[in-house]
Amino acid sequence: MTKTRGGFSRGFTRRSFMATGSAALLGSTALGSGLFSGGLAYAQDFDLMATSGEPVYFRGWQFRTDVVQSNVDAYNERMNGNVDYATVTGDYPSLMETTLIANGDLDVLYANPSSAVRYMGGGWVMPAAELPNGQEIADSMYDNIREAWSVNGQLLGLSYFVSVRGTLLANLQRLDEAGFGDNPLPTTWDQLYETIYALHEAGVETPFLPHWFAEWFGISWGFLFEVMNRGGQVADAETHQPMMTVDGPAGATLEAWKRLWNSGLVPEEVLSYNEAAYIDAFRSGRYVFSPQQIYDIKTFNDPAQSADVAGHISLLPGTEQSWGLIDSAMYLMTSRDRPDALTDDVMRFTSWYGYKDENGDFAVANRWLEENMLFSAYRPVMESDAAREAIQSSVARPEDYDTVLEVYARTPYPKGVWNVVWSEEFNVWLREKLFSFLQDDLPVAEVIEEANAEITRLNERYGI
Amino acid sequence: MTRSRITIWLVLAIAVALIWTFLPMYWTVKFAFMTKPEISRFPPLLFPPDPNLASFFNIFGSDYTLADGTVVPASGQARQIILGLRNSLIVSVVVTAVTIFVVTPLSYVFARMEFPAKGKLLAAVLLSVSLPPVSTLIPFYVLYVQLDLVGTLFGLIIITLTITIPIVAWVMIGFFRNMPPIEQLGRIDGFSRLYIFTRIMVPMARSGIMVASVIAFLFAWNEYVYAQVLVTGSTAVTLPAAMSGFLFQAPEPGHLAASIFLSVLPPFVIAFFLQKHIAEMNFV
Amino acid sequence: MARLASPDTETAAKTPATRRRGELSNLQFALVVTVPVLVFLVLVIAYPLGYALNLSFHDIRFFGGYSATWVGLENYADVLSDERFWNGFLLTVRFTVETVLLTLGIGMALALVVRDLPPRWRWLRALIILPWAVSPYGAGIFFAYLGRGQTGVGTALANALGFDTSINFITQDLVVEFLALGAAWNMAPLVAFFLLANMLTTPPRLYDLAKLDRMSRFETFLYVTLPPLRFTLFVFTCIITVLSIKTFDYIFTATQGGPGSASSVLTYVLYRTSFQNLDLGYGAAMSFYLLALILISTGIIFFTWGRREARR
Repeated sequence: MTKTRGGFSRGFTRRSFMATGSAALLGSTALGSGLFSGGLAYAQDFDLMATSGEPVYFRGWQFRTDVVQSNVDAYNERMNGNVDYATVTGDYPSLMETTLIANGDLDVLYANPSSAVRYMGGGWVMPAAELPNGQEIADSMYDNIREAWSVNGQLLGLSYFVSVRGTLLANLQRLDEAGFGDNPLPTTWDQLYETIYALHEAGVETPFLPHWFAEWFGISWGFLFEVMNRGGQVADAETHQPMMTVDGPAGATLEAWKRLWNSGLVPEEVLSYNEAAYIDAFRSGRYVFSPQQIYDIKTFNDPAQSADVAGHISLLPGTEQSWGLIDSAMYLMTSRDRPDALTDDVMRFTSWYGYKDENGDFAVANRWLEENMLFSAYRPVMESDAAREAIQSSVARPEDYDTVLEVYARTPYPKGVWNVVWSEEFNVWLREKLFSFLQDDLPVAEVIEEANAEITRLNERYGI
Repeated sequence: MTRSRITIWLVLAIAVALIWTFLPMYWTVKFAFMTKPEISRFPPLLFPPDPNLASFFNIFGSDYTLADGTVVPASGQARQIILGLRNSLIVSVVVTAVTIFVVTPLSYVFARMEFPAKGKLLAAVLLSVSLPPVSTLIPFYVLYVQLDLVGTLFGLIIITLTITIPIVAWVMIGFFRNMPPIEQLGRIDGFSRLYIFTRIMVPMARSGIMVASVIAFLFAWNEYVYAQVLVTGSTAVTLPAAMSGFLFQAPEPGHLAASIFLSVLPPFVIAFFLQKHIAEMNFV
Repeated sequence: MARLASPDTETAAKTPATRRRGELSNLQFALVVTVPVLVFLVLVIAYPLGYALNLSFHDIRFFGGYSATWVGLENYADVLSDERFWNGFLLTVRFTVETVLLTLGIGMALALVVRDLPPRWRWLRALIILPWAVSPYGAGIFFAYLGRGQTGVGTALANALGFDTSINFITQDLVVEFLALGAAWNMAPLVAFFLLANMLTTPPRLYDLAKLDRMSRFETFLYVTLPPLRFTLFVFTCIITVLSIKTFDYIFTATQGGPGSASSVLTYVLYRTSFQNLDLGYGAAMSFYLLALILISTGIIFFTWGRREARR
């Protein structure tokens, strides 16, 4: 950590926090119960009005930029802010890393936990724990998510969304057409593959769109979640030692992949897809099953966006095993060189945007839930009636609401490979190796051995 | 020029050339006139079943209501697309002007004069074209942060010049070489070198200079690799960088197609006018 | 390169009397127009290049505290035993050779087609140049949609003709050829344009003579049309070679180096090393091999072909 940053947070505490001492006292009582957001005007830990007049650079990837822009506009207008929002497109994590290395103009950014841990390792992040209301924020999160987002017990960022990537979606209409409408939906990966081959026998040419696309969150994440869904781990959550075995879930996953690839059911082009192509492929109704983002259930069931499948997209139940992994993102604050007054504003904006606004409402989080079914890490957001309505309006069948929550609650998080500084490097390596495993028909045992060796190598390189 | 008759073979050849030219563009640009469900239909549609202009309104920040009453919401990238259009125009025009101003005398000198160390100097200019952007990106970025040039049009213009100058020089030198040795006459008449260059050579080379301008303009207009790193997410964003937002994360093929369509319009117009000069060009 | 036009040396030597007072010598004039450009290029390019050179001798780590350890030539040695590097190298060579051949061939074909147009149809010439106005970035998007089985023209046509199948060009075996075709689509019009300009300067009487000699069409092409185009072809072989080896954005948008690593050309490997892994020292070393590849390729083209052309 740079010495300047420590200075900044002290500066913040000294000037702003102490100046509003009385309010802070009131705030901390409110925090104790965490329930005072109703009738009473919410007492802030600190004043959220921006004061420095300097721009706060807020960057994110391109997702519903219209919503983000209008949120930012609201902040700028109501809180006298000067937040400069823009999207960064292309290879997001790499571009951000470059900016961070070079100490570029960047104050608040979106980050997946694996990137966040890496940025933290580079000393480029000011953890959320350093916010005056950091403890309160941490306390209102679900435990598993707070843990996933923490390094050495320090919460890194505030909740943007928490989702499930790899929720197994099913096109009910295609199942009906193939005569499988009355069969219960598969509940395990093995059952799923059996159903896929049965569907193929029944004349369905492309029953499955696997999570094998080319993005950095494509094939490698597909491997991680299938191993975890089958009850395994890629690396130990604490020691980060490799844990894959040929006879275990990792081996089973690769065996299943090899059979699927060699059966020719998966078009090779999938391996070059970006996410847009991946979503459009499932949206076309060509495939019966596919692991997708849980929030895209809404996209697929929306006739304006997905006329060919809308109203027919359900999800596999999480009764016997989990599906997918927790895919989440936070708002991170950087530790770049900047004046103290600006650092104060960065903290104010982040708290307003990533937690509660000046009225004590989770305004941004609630809006995401409503508009895009993006779940939040904050308990009060998820356990509201509004959340229930938002989800129910997005699913194909009434009973799917319970399935969504069930799948959501069971979803694992690959802490062993994500909460470690080499996460992105391993991700790039794994992506390449898995492609090569499929295309060059590498033996399962060899790939697992190499993957374990790579983790060991990375641990050694970084002294873990 | 052999025949100017229209034979069946000529017609066929033209047809093939036109399909070759337009099919790849059409295939994506048609998305701009289709709805999301139509775009993702499988098997893919050959023609937009019910063309609409929604995407063009969306990328400029307006909602659009389809005939059936569905509202297609405006894109959140609109601000960046508009900024990108403006910035791309500024960068391209400035880069073109500077490139031509610098490269015309440079190429003239290399093409038509003998002087010591000519080969080495020429090599130095031309070799800079060989520098792959990927390998200098991070050093450039670090340098730019130190100079406070990240996210500025000025910074982008500087870096784009390093691409256009060598390429345009390469082409222009060839052009000047092929011009008649007119300056001998000029020298005999006692004109100064500068006079010969500005009053005789430049006017004679007009069409060549125009072509070179178009080349410079296109390289500047289409630059993405540097722009992606240096100006995305800033107010200096250029059109290709702004457009790339439609490609990743959330699919907006319609918006992407509409903005690509827009992005090729200015070069199209320029290229179209350029072909009139084709006969006057005795190039390379 | 250019030894063709050197009228000035003689003139200057023969007519010193006509030289005005304060008139610049050839060298001085050359320096005045060249040096500022060179200084600019050197300043803007040398710094990053020097920086990269320095990086290439270090092992750079950002995590667990930034460190740069001097490793000498180790990075350079490691690159040579890196499978991904050689895979990328072979793909780059394959892509480049194919792109150059396709671009020149198609450019020539386009030029021949539009050369013979009757005056009323000449506006068509403007149309065939249009693909060149598309950025490599845009071309990548076009060819991704065009070639994929899911969205591609092959599938659409096959289904329109009643075959229930999907036709995909983005495969391990075909993707490089397909990408080369796309690159040729993008660049061939430029070549066509310059070839056409040159063809139009060939005196028509040469064609009349060819007719009198009863040359076949192919012979006419070979002995009348082609010879004046050789220097243009040489220059564009160089330019297209350099551009193809440098290509990054086109492949980035078209396939992301895929499927798998089937189109992970050298620039893509480099991008992954430097940007995604932040292995900057190693990436810098690799980039100098890439630079060497570009220089050697153009050098070979120049010494085997260019020198002969320049002497003509």
